[in-house]
Amino acid sequence: MSLVTPAIEPNPLREGLEQERVPDASCLVIFGASGDLTQRKLIPALYSLAHDGLLPAGQTIIGYARPDYTDDAFRIAMRESCDKFARTRPVDEAVWENFAKGLFYVRGEFGEPDGIIRLNEKMKECDDSRGTGGRRIYYLAVPPQFFPVIAELLGREKMVTDPEQGGPFTRVIIEKPFGHDLKSARELNHVAVSTFRERQVFRIDHYLGKETVQNLLVLRFANGIFEPFWNRQYIDHVQITVAESIGVEKRGPYFETAGISRDIIQNHMLQLVSLIGMEPPVAFEADAVRDEKVKVLRALREFPRGRETEVAVRGQYVDGSVLGEKAVAYRKEVKVAPNSNVDTYAALKIFIDNWRWADVPFYIRAGKRLPKRVTDISIHFRPAPYPLFHKLANVKMQPNVLAIRIQPDEGISLKFDSKVPGPTVRTAPVTMEFRYATSFGAEPPEAYERLLLETMLGDSTLFARRDEVETAWAWLDPLLNAWAADPAGPSTYSAGTWGPEAADQLIEHDGRKWRRP
Amino acid sequence: MTDLSTADIRVDVNAIEKSLSELWRGQQDGEDAVTRAALWNVVAHTSTSDLHASASETLGRASAVVPQRTIVVRSNPADEAELTSWISANCHLIGDGKQVCSEEINIVAGGDRIHRVPPVVSALLIPDMPVAFWWLGDLPNEHEAYVELLLESADRLIVDSAHFDSPADLALVVRIAEQTSTSPADLNWGRLEEWRSATASIFDPPQMRNRLDTIRRVRVIAGSSNHEFFGESIESLLFASWLSAQVGHVVESSGTVQGSSGTIDYAFEKRYQSTDVGGIAQVEISFADGTCASIMRDRDRGVLVANVDGSVMVQSVTRTLNQRLDELIVRQLKRSEGDRVLRRVLPLALKLSKRV
Repeated sequence: MSLVTPAIEPNPLREGLEQERVPDASCLVIFGASGDLTQRKLIPALYSLAHDGLLPAGQTIIGYARPDYTDDAFRIAMRESCDKFARTRPVDEAVWENFAKGLFYVRGEFGEPDGIIRLNEKMKECDDSRGTGGRRIYYLAVPPQFFPVIAELLGREKMVTDPEQGGPFTRVIIEKPFGHDLKSARELNHVAVSTFRERQVFRIDHYLGKETVQNLLVLRFANGIFEPFWNRQYIDHVQITVAESIGVEKRGPYFETAGISRDIIQNHMLQLVSLIGMEPPVAFEADAVRDEKVKVLRALREFPRGRETEVAVRGQYVDGSVLGEKAVAYRKEVKVAPNSNVDTYAALKIFIDNWRWADVPFYIRAGKRLPKRVTDISIHFRPAPYPLFHKLANVKMQPNVLAIRIQPDEGISLKFDSKVPGPTVRTAPVTMEFRYATSFGAEPPEAYERLLLETMLGDSTLFARRDEVETAWAWLDPLLNAWAADPAGPSTYSAGTWGPEAADQLIEHDGRKWRRP
Repeated sequence: MTDLSTADIRVDVNAIEKSLSELWRGQQDGEDAVTRAALWNVVAHTSTSDLHASASETLGRASAVVPQRTIVVRSNPADEAELTSWISANCHLIGDGKQVCSEEINIVAGGDRIHRVPPVVSALLIPDMPVAFWWLGDLPNEHEAYVELLLESADRLIVDSAHFDSPADLALVVRIAEQTSTSPADLNWGRLEEWRSATASIFDPPQMRNRLDTIRRVRVIAGSSNHEFFGESIESLLFASWLSAQVGHVVESSGTVQGSSGTIDYAFEKRYQSTDVGGIAQVEISFADGTCASIMRDRDRGVLVANVDGSVMVQSVTRTLNQRLDELIVRQLKRSEGDRVLRRVLPLALKLSKRV
C-alpha cells in the first residue's frame, strides 16, 4: 500500500479565471503576531489576497505571541493594520467580515510547551470547523534565536507532517537574516532540516516577490532578442545599485550587528546578481531555477586575500541632508554605538568566473542615506567594433545601456545613439522606455502577497534554497572578516551623497563611471 | 499640472497619420513630460451618433489603464454620403507629473462611402500590435461579408451578447470563432466572471472536487424585463454552457444535457426586476445525494455568497466586480491571448438557446 496521498485533480472550474490557482485551505500560524512585520505586511497582504479572491474559503490565520489578546481584540488590531497598510484599500466590509471569521489568536511564549499545545488544539478545532484538513504553514516572524526552540517544540508535539509520509502538508517560512555568517547559517539550516525537510522550508527574500525581479527571468528567457548578446562578447560591465534615502530608523540594534553587507549584499544583491548572471534553466520549476542561480554564486571570484580593499569599499554616513532635510550621522542614530564601525554603504567589484562572464566586472553598491530610494540594474554594452563616425566632428559615440529599474517607477529602458536631424552628421543618445505604470496601469501586488500565496501553493521557486544561502555566506565571509580586522573602519560619506569617494575611485580606476540611477 | 488631452481636430482622411505626428510634435514642445503609449489597436464600430459618443467616452477611460490607438467608426449606409475624420489625444496622469497619452481617431462614413471604411481603418493600424474590434449594438448578421472584411486584421472581436436579438447573432460569433483566426470576446462573459469565480470556490476544497460528477440539477435565475428579448437570456445560457463544458457534460443538438450518469436537468428561470435585466440573481446546483449548493447575490454588500448544505465547507464570499463598460473592455484587453474557455462555451450556448 502506498503511503503517498493521491494527487487531487485541479478544479476545472478555475480554468481561465483570473484566480486560476487557489490553494487548499490551511492553518497559517504567525509566530510573532504582535510584531511590526505582521501588522504592516503579513495581515494586510493576506487580506488583499482574500479581497482578490485568491484565498480559499476556509483559510485560517492564527496569530501566536506573548501579549494577552482575545480573538476579537486581535481582529480589531488587524483591521486597523489593513485600514492603514493593505494594498486594496479602503477595506471592503463584506470581504473583511468573512476574512475575520478565519482570524484567531493564541497567547504563548515561543519556548512554552503549553502554548504550543494550545495552538495545536486550536488548529484541530479549525480542521473540523473550517476544513483545513491538517494542513499547516508556520510563519516565523521572530528573531532567529527563537527558531530552534519553536522548531523543536513543533517536532516534539508532532505538529509537522509530510505528504510523502502520507500526511497533509506542513511548511515553514523563515525571514532573513538567514544567519550572521556561514557558521551560523549552517547551524540554522541544520536546525531547520532536523524538524523539516528542505522542501518544506521557505526562506523569504522579499526582493524575489517583486514583479520587476521576476520580470528579469521573463526579459531574459521569454525574448529571443537579448540572450544572444547576454555575455562577455557584447557586455562591457554590469552595475547594480540598491539605494535607500532613509537611515536605520528604529533598526539600530539590528543594524549594529548586520551592516549593509549582511542586510542587503548577502541576500537581495546576490539574488539580483544570480538572476542577471544565470544560465537558462531547463524548466521554470523551483529546483531548475535555483540550480542555475546557485551555480552563479559558486562561480563568484574569491576576494584577493590581503587586498580586499582593491575590490571592495565600505562607508558610513555622517551628518548631511537628504532631499533637503537634515540627516544625522549613523553614529548619532538611536541605539547605535557612538564609535560604531558598522558599514552603511558598500561597493564591490565582483566577477563571475565562468564561460559566459569571464572578466566582465559587476559593480554593485548598496547604501543608506543616499540621495534617493532606487534599485537599478544597468547592462553596459561594448562599443561598436569599428568607430565609423569617430572621424566626424560633433560625433561622440556612447555605449548602449539596458537599464532595468526594480523600484520605484519600475520599467526598462534602452539607450542608443541616433542621428540628430539636419544636414550634418551629429549623433545624440536617445532612450526607448517601457514603464510598468504606463503599460499595465494597475498597481502590482505587494511582494508578500505573492510570496505567501506561493507558499500556500507549495511552489518554492521564489524562495532561497539552503545551498544558495550557504554559498553566498561562504563567498562573503572572508571580506567581512577582513573588514572586521581592519582598524581603519569604513570611509565616511555625507548623508545625501552617493557614497564615499573611494567608491567612485573603485570604478573610475577602470575607466568607467557609476551610472546616475 | 496641465491636462494635455486635446479637443477634436478635424483632419483629412488621407492625412490622418501626418496630422497625428504634428499633434505629438506639438505636445513635446510644452514643459510637461508626455509619454505616448499603445498596447493595442482598438477599433470600435458603431452605426449611430449616440453609440459613437458612448464608444469614444468608454475607450477614453479604458485608455487610462490600457494605452491604445483608438479608432471609433460610425458607419451607416442609410446616412448621407460622406467620409470625415478627426483626431484627439486622451491623456492621463500617472504620477510624478508624467502624463501618458493615447491617440483617438474618429471616422464617420455614410452612404456608399462606407466601403472605404475597411481599407482606411486597416491603413491606420499600428504594426506589430494586436487589434481588437469592438462591435457596438446588434451584430449585422445579415451583412456577414461586410463584417468579415472589417475583421480581416482583427485578433479579437469584442461583442456584447446582451444586445443580441436572436440566436443568429450568437451563431455568427460561433462561425467567426470556428472559421477565422479572430478570437471572440464577449462583455457579457466578463459580467459572468464573478459567478464563475463564486461557483469555482464551492469546488475548491479537495473533498468537494468529486461532487462535480454528482451534479443532477442546475437552476439559474436571471432578471427579466418582461419583454421577450433574446439578449436577456444569454448570461444564463453562458453560465450553464460553461458549467457543462468544464465538468464534461455533453450538450446535445436538442439542448438536452447528458452527464456520466444520465440527463442533467438545467432549468432557466426569469424573475422580473427593473435593474440588472439579464443578470443572474441566483444559482442552485443539486447533487445526487439530495444536497444543494447555492450562490446568491447580496446586492447591499456587493458580494456573491456561496453555501453548501450538509458540508463543513465554510461560506465563500466573492466580491462583485465593477461592471462599467470601460472596466469590462479593460478586462478583455488585459488578456494577451484569446479566451479558450469561451471558445468552448459558445457552441454549447447556441445549442442550449433552444431551451429559452
